[in-house]
Amino acid sequence: MLVTRNLLHAALAMFLCMLGLAGLYVLAYADVMAVSHLLIYVGGVLILILFGIMMTQTPVKEGESVNHLWAEQSGRFWPLSMGLSIFMGLFWVLGHGNWSNEIAQTDSKIVQTGVAFLTEYSFPFELTGVFLLIALVGATFIAKNHG
Amino acid sequence: MDNIPLIFFLWVGAFLFATGFAMMVMKRNTIFVLMGIELMLNAANLNLVAFSRSDDQNQGMMMGLFVLVVGVCEMAIALAVIIQVYRQFKGIDIDQFSSRN
Repeated sequence: MLVTRNLLHAALAMFLCMLGLAGLYVLAYADVMAVSHLLIYVGGVLILILFGIMMTQTPVKEGESVNHLWAEQSGRFWPLSMGLSIFMGLFWVLGHGNWSNEIAQTDSKIVQTGVAFLTEYSFPFELTGVFLLIALVGATFIAKNHG
Repeated sequence: MDNIPLIFFLWVGAFLFATGFAMMVMKRNTIFVLMGIELMLNAANLNLVAFSRSDDQNQGMMMGLFVLVVGVCEMAIALAVIIQVYRQFKGIDIDQFSSRN
């Protein structure tokens, strides 16, 4: 996603990245998280991004052979060096930690998650539903053609 | 089966965060910037899930699920704003935006 300048190639790379992240969640014994990540990101956010790419393209004029998916970018040096320094700094800091590596529970967490959603986390759960409703209504209102 | 050490998850998270940051700074297209922000969010989420591995209450994973929902809301609203900005400025490159017409 970082090296390509084509928007659609970046969207496809994001698809692969999300699949890989879901696999990592499975390896971290968080199966509920992996399934919801797949559903939400691959099924929802990626489609949203593709719609965004398609709706914001300038139409190609007659006899013009320019690829409008080709995105501009600023100079490469500073962003790449800043990203590399962030990565090296985190790598160094994390390497000095004394992380415990014990696993609490290795079987499926579906039952535990469902019970927790309806008992301990019931208020945040409802709040999330209301928040999602507000955000989607707001998004449709913002995207409306206001003349 | 041997478990994967926690530090590997943290390294992947750091890599994703750095990549997202570099994308956010480097690209001029707004959708690219949004994808970079999304990568950074996912890096943080991966750390939450990785740490909740050793917690029998699973608090990190629950937090991660809520973060997922908030990320989706952010994405929907950001794309709506991008569409409206495209109507206003006829383009979505960041350096085009200026209120002086």
